[in-house]
Amino acid sequence: MQLKQLANISAALAAASCALLGQQAQAGTVLDDWQFNSAILLYNETDRVSAGEAILTARGDFGDDKFLNLGLVVDALTGASATGAVAQPYVQSFTRPSGRGSYDVAPGVTPLDDTFHDTRVQLDASWEQPLAPNWRVSGGGHLSKEYDYLSMGLNGSVARDFNQKNTTVSLGLGYSHDTISPEGGIAKAFAPMLLRSSYVDDSSYQAAFDATRDRADDTKDTLDMLLGLTQVINRNWLMQVNYSLSMADGYMTDPFKLVSVVNSNGEVQQNLYETRPDQRTKHSLYWQNKLHLSGSFLDASYRYMWDDWELTSHTADVKWRLPMGDSWYVEPQFRYYQQSAAEFYQPFILQTEPLPQYISADYRIGKMNTYTVGAKFGTKLAQGNELSFRIALYQQTPENDGITAPGVLADVELYEKVTAVMAQLSYSF
Amino acid sequence: MPEISLRSGSHCVIGQFRAMASPCEILLEQHDMALCRQLTELAATEAERIEQKYSRYRSDSVLSQLNSQAGSWQTLDVETMQLLAFADSCYQLSAGLFDISSGILRRAWQFDGSANIASQQQLDTLLPLIGWQKVKREANRLWLPAGMELDLGGIAKEYAVDKVLQLLSLQFTDAAIPSVVVNFGGDMRCSRPRDDGSLWRIGIENPALADQAISAVGLSNGALATSGDSRRFLLKDGVRYSHIINPTTGWPVTDAPRSVTVAAPNCLLAGMLATTALLQGRDAEAFLQAQQLQYWLVP
Amino acid sequence: MKLTKILSAGVITLLLSQLSACSTLGVKPWERDVLAKEEMALNSAPLDSRLDDHIYFSKEGSSGGRSFAGGGCGCN
Repeated sequence: MQLKQLANISAALAAASCALLGQQAQAGTVLDDWQFNSAILLYNETDRVSAGEAILTARGDFGDDKFLNLGLVVDALTGASATGAVAQPYVQSFTRPSGRGSYDVAPGVTPLDDTFHDTRVQLDASWEQPLAPNWRVSGGGHLSKEYDYLSMGLNGSVARDFNQKNTTVSLGLGYSHDTISPEGGIAKAFAPMLLRSSYVDDSSYQAAFDATRDRADDTKDTLDMLLGLTQVINRNWLMQVNYSLSMADGYMTDPFKLVSVVNSNGEVQQNLYETRPDQRTKHSLYWQNKLHLSGSFLDASYRYMWDDWELTSHTADVKWRLPMGDSWYVEPQFRYYQQSAAEFYQPFILQTEPLPQYISADYRIGKMNTYTVGAKFGTKLAQGNELSFRIALYQQTPENDGITAPGVLADVELYEKVTAVMAQLSYSF
Repeated sequence: MPEISLRSGSHCVIGQFRAMASPCEILLEQHDMALCRQLTELAATEAERIEQKYSRYRSDSVLSQLNSQAGSWQTLDVETMQLLAFADSCYQLSAGLFDISSGILRRAWQFDGSANIASQQQLDTLLPLIGWQKVKREANRLWLPAGMELDLGGIAKEYAVDKVLQLLSLQFTDAAIPSVVVNFGGDMRCSRPRDDGSLWRIGIENPALADQAISAVGLSNGALATSGDSRRFLLKDGVRYSHIINPTTGWPVTDAPRSVTVAAPNCLLAGMLATTALLQGRDAEAFLQAQQLQYWLVP
Repeated sequence: MKLTKILSAGVITLLLSQLSACSTLGVKPWERDVLAKEEMALNSAPLDSRLDDHIYFSKEGSSGGRSFAGGGCGCN
C-alpha cells in the first residue's frame, strides 16, 4: 500500500491535468506543429570542384514529446578532382576511369579528372519519443542514391536523464550498407591505367581494359556506435563528451584514384589504380562546450580521432554568436583540422621498390592541415521564422611527410593547396 | 468583475485584485501599463467566473446546486465534467487519499489552534458519507449519493491559474507572448522565461517559520503551488494535528510537513502533487522524491 | 602515437571524474532559463552541422564525433 502511494504518479497526473486544460486538444492540430528548416549551400574550389546542396527538413510535434523528423537532401557536383597522379614537366595523357575517352594534363599541373558530374538524392526519417520517465528513444533510417552509389542505413538511440535532467547518458547505434558501381566496373588492385594510343584498334584496347576490371560493383558495411554524456555544469554552461566507434568492412578504395610509378629521375612510367584495406576501425573522442557569456553564446569543440589506418587527427571548432541589436546576430566561426597520413599513403612509388600491399596517393588521407574561417549573419523574423547567411573560406594544405622527391618531381608541386569558398542561405519557418 | 489596481514593480508591472479568498496578481515583464490593465481585467473576469461556478460558499454556484440535488441523476456542463474527471484521476492515483467528497469532515474538525479533537463517534457518523468511488458518472451526468457533498476547494484555485494563463496567452500569437506570471495566493504559473534572462522572484506566503521558510522563489517557466498552512492545526497532548485529513480514517494526518511547494509544468499538477504529498504524512518527502520534480518542504 | 592516445584519454577521464566529484554541478529546474534558449542547444544549427559534416567527410580523412561517422555518399 505504502509502496504504491510512493510511486511516481506525476506523469499520469500531468496527462490528466493536460486533458482538463485542453492542451492536448490545442496541440492536436498537428499541421500547425511542423517546423521546417531549409538551406542551400554553394561550395566552390578554385579550379576544381563546384557543388550545390539543398536541404529541407521537417520536424513534426505529435504531442507527448513525440517527434517525427523527415529530411530531403539534393546535391549536385561538377568539376575537376585530383586523381592522385603526380605532375610532370611535360604533357601527360590520362584515360577516364570509365575507360571511355581521355584527357591531357599540361606540364607542371597537378592531374585533375574533370569528368565529375554527379547528383545525389537522400531521404531520411526518424521518430523519437519518451520511453519511460527520464528515458528517450529514437529510431530512423536513410536512403541515399547517386548515379554510381547507393547507401541504405538504419540507426537507433536511447538516452537516460539523471540528476534532475542535468546529466544525460546516451547510446546510439547505426548500420549502413553501401553499394558502389562505378561506370566501367571496378579495377583490380594495382591495375594499370591503360591508354588507347598504346593499342592498334578499339577492340584490342577494350579487351585489355576489360581484363583490368574484375567486378561491376562492390559493397561496404559500416557499424557505428556512439556513447555520449551531456552535463549541465551551471546556468550558463553545457558540456558534452562523446566516444564513437565506427567499424567499416568492404570496399573503401576510391575507384577513380591513381598512384604514379616513377623512375629514379621522377618520371612517370605507369599509373596504377590505388587499393586500400577493406577494413577500417575509427575511434573518436569529441568534447563540446556551449557557454553563455553575458548575452553571447560560445560553441567550442575539440575532436581527437584515431584509426587502424594509423590516421590520427585533431579538430578544433569555435563559433561565437553575438547579438546585434534586437533581432540580428553575427557569428564568427573558426575551425582548424590537422591529420597525419594513413600508413599506406604515398604520393608516388618508385619503380625500383616492390609493390606494397596497399597504396593510395589521395591527398585526403595524407598528412594535411586545413582551416575554415567564416561568419554567419542571422535575423529572427515574425512568428519565430529565422533567416541566416553564412560565408566561409576553407583551405587545405597537404604536407610532405618526409618524402624526398627524385629528379623532375623536385620541381613540381606535389602537395598543392586547395582553396574553397562556401556560401549558405538558410531559412526556418 | 472584482476591483483591480495597478502598480509598477522594479522589473515588471503588476495588476492586482482579490478572488477565491486570495490576493491575485498578474505580473508582466514589459513596462506597459495599458497592456497590464487589459490582461488583469481579463484575468479578474475569468477568476470570478470560476469562483462563482465552483465556490461552496455561494448557493447559486454549480457546485452548490450539484450538492443540493444529491440523490438524483444530474446533467452537468462539459467543464464541470472534465474537472470531475481530473478529480477522479487524482483519487485513483493517490489510492483514495485525495477525495473531493471528504470536505464534509469539516463538520467534526475546526482547525483553530485549539485542543478540540473530534470524537471517534462523530467521525463514525460522517465516514459513510465519504468516498468518491460511490459517485456514479456517465458522459454528461452524475449521481451523488444523498447526504454526500463535493468540494472543489483543493482544485479550483490551481485550475483558475492555468485557465487564466491560457486565456492571457490566447491574446497573442505564439511568438509574441510576453513573459507573464499569474499568481493567485502563491499558486502561480509563468508563460515563458523573461526576456532579460532573469528569474521571476515572487514571495510565497510564509508558513510561520519566517526565517527558515521560503520567502521568495525564482521562477523562469512552468508553475509552482504550495499546500499546507501552519496556522490551521490542533494541538493536544503534544501532538500537532494538521488540517489535512485522511478521508479513509477521518483523522488528520500526523507528522506531515507544515508546507510543501512543488514546481511542475502546470499549476494543477503542482497543486495536486503538493496536496498528495502532505497526505502521505511522514512519507511526504519520499513521495516528493519519487515524483522527480523540484520541491521545497517546511518540516 | 600510442602515448598521445593514452594521454588524451587520461586527460578526459580526469576531467570527467573531477566534474562528477563536484556535487553542485547542474541547475535547479527554475534556473533553466538560459539553457532553454535555442542558441544553447548542443546542435543549435542542425543544417549547418549537416552540411559541414558532409563537406569535411568528403574532403578529409576523419568523420564523426559529434554524431555518427556515417557514410552514405561516394563523395569527391
